[in-house]
Amino acid sequence: MNVNILGAATTKFGELWHLSPRDLVRTAVSEVLSSSGLKAADLEAVFVGNMLSSSLGGQDHLGALFAEELGIKGAAMKVEGACASGGLAIHAGVLAILGGLYETVLVVGVEKMTDHKPEEVAKMLMGAGSDPEREAGATFPGLYALIARAHMEKYGTSEEQMAYVAVKNHFHASLNSHAQFTCPVTLEKVVKSPVVASPLKLLDCSPITDGAAAVILSAKGKGGKKVSIVASAVATDTLGLAERKDLTTLKATVAAAKKAYEMADVTPGDIDVAEVHDCFTIAEIIAMEDLGFFEKGKAAQAIWEGKTRLGSGHPVVNTSGGLKASGHPVGATGVKQIVEIYNQLKGTAGKKQVEGAKIGLAHNVGGSGATAVVHILK
Amino acid sequence: MGLTGRIVSFTKVHVPPEGFTDQAPYVVAIAKLENGRGCIGQLVDYKEDQLAIDQKIKTVLRRTRDPGLEGVIPYGIKFKPI
Repeated sequence: MNVNILGAATTKFGELWHLSPRDLVRTAVSEVLSSSGLKAADLEAVFVGNMLSSSLGGQDHLGALFAEELGIKGAAMKVEGACASGGLAIHAGVLAILGGLYETVLVVGVEKMTDHKPEEVAKMLMGAGSDPEREAGATFPGLYALIARAHMEKYGTSEEQMAYVAVKNHFHASLNSHAQFTCPVTLEKVVKSPVVASPLKLLDCSPITDGAAAVILSAKGKGGKKVSIVASAVATDTLGLAERKDLTTLKATVAAAKKAYEMADVTPGDIDVAEVHDCFTIAEIIAMEDLGFFEKGKAAQAIWEGKTRLGSGHPVVNTSGGLKASGHPVGATGVKQIVEIYNQLKGTAGKKQVEGAKIGLAHNVGGSGATAVVHILK
Repeated sequence: MGLTGRIVSFTKVHVPPEGFTDQAPYVVAIAKLENGRGCIGQLVDYKEDQLAIDQKIKTVLRRTRDPGLEGVIPYGIKFKPI
């Protein structure tokens, strides 16, 4: 497959109390329209990735809302898959173009989370899990903590190795003006941060964030260096963690990645740069294994040795800062990952540029691994 | 009810969501039960040294969330070490 990306942009991510979802989306979309030289009238459909607009904001019907806001006359719909909403919205855009019904579409991911109390946001995020998990008071840090402890037990992964993922991603984010946290953090600061759900501490966890990202996909090309999506794969696993056979792997990631590598006719070794779903530090370690970059149980040490860090690594992982340091506005993340890989392959990633990056991968997960979306770009 | 099992993983939740605010910190565990199924629930009536993978537990019926405005008290499965 070959779906061209004509433009890609994100807003700043962070606690943006003065910006509404409409403001965020308008900002991201006006940037992609101006950089691609297109107008709203050229967009035949809009796919909106978002999870919490209903439970936190009381607003459904986002397709129609943003079609009106942006002056788009074609099809419009919200796509939801918890934290994989953005990646699924990109997949929907790809399907729209490959199906031939639409030639040029807009995919936008947006989330507005920081206007609410943490306990309320935590409760609504639990909508990504199962009913027994909600009844047990298993928050998302709690679920990934269960995964972390199992991984530590099986492979000897340490709290310091997990903490180093945060250190690396904050270093990358310090080169990303759009990131929520541009401050580096030390290993000691991460390990000594307050416990959220043992063994995960505050700085092992991605933050609550507002932000939006937009991408224009088209069957048509554009002049100059072309970047396109050459694989778009989705897989699912059980909704709840308790129903899984093995807590130390996300089968959905393994399955989606396998499909994606086949579609693109590449192997993990061909990937130069990757954005992976580090909702918690342990999630990046497991993703490195599930995506085939390192053997099971070996990723934590490889990351610790700098094998995925800008300047010394291949693949370089989470140059945006990942979810941990650039922020995790839930519905926007999957789209932002595509924006980052697009910039890396176009050579416009600025201070965080991976030299000579030719093939990139984006990995977006919903819930505790119930949905996984993998995109490969060339 | 009254099934035995073993802890597969556990965590102590310090930052609770709405509905659990007065219970924190509390322990959430996944246990593999004698019928082969996995189950998630809070661990109750435990000593710190029983917070371990492979600890034997049995299922019990306990109150779960805060009742909220409706006042109907929700009950569910929790685990007790044995």
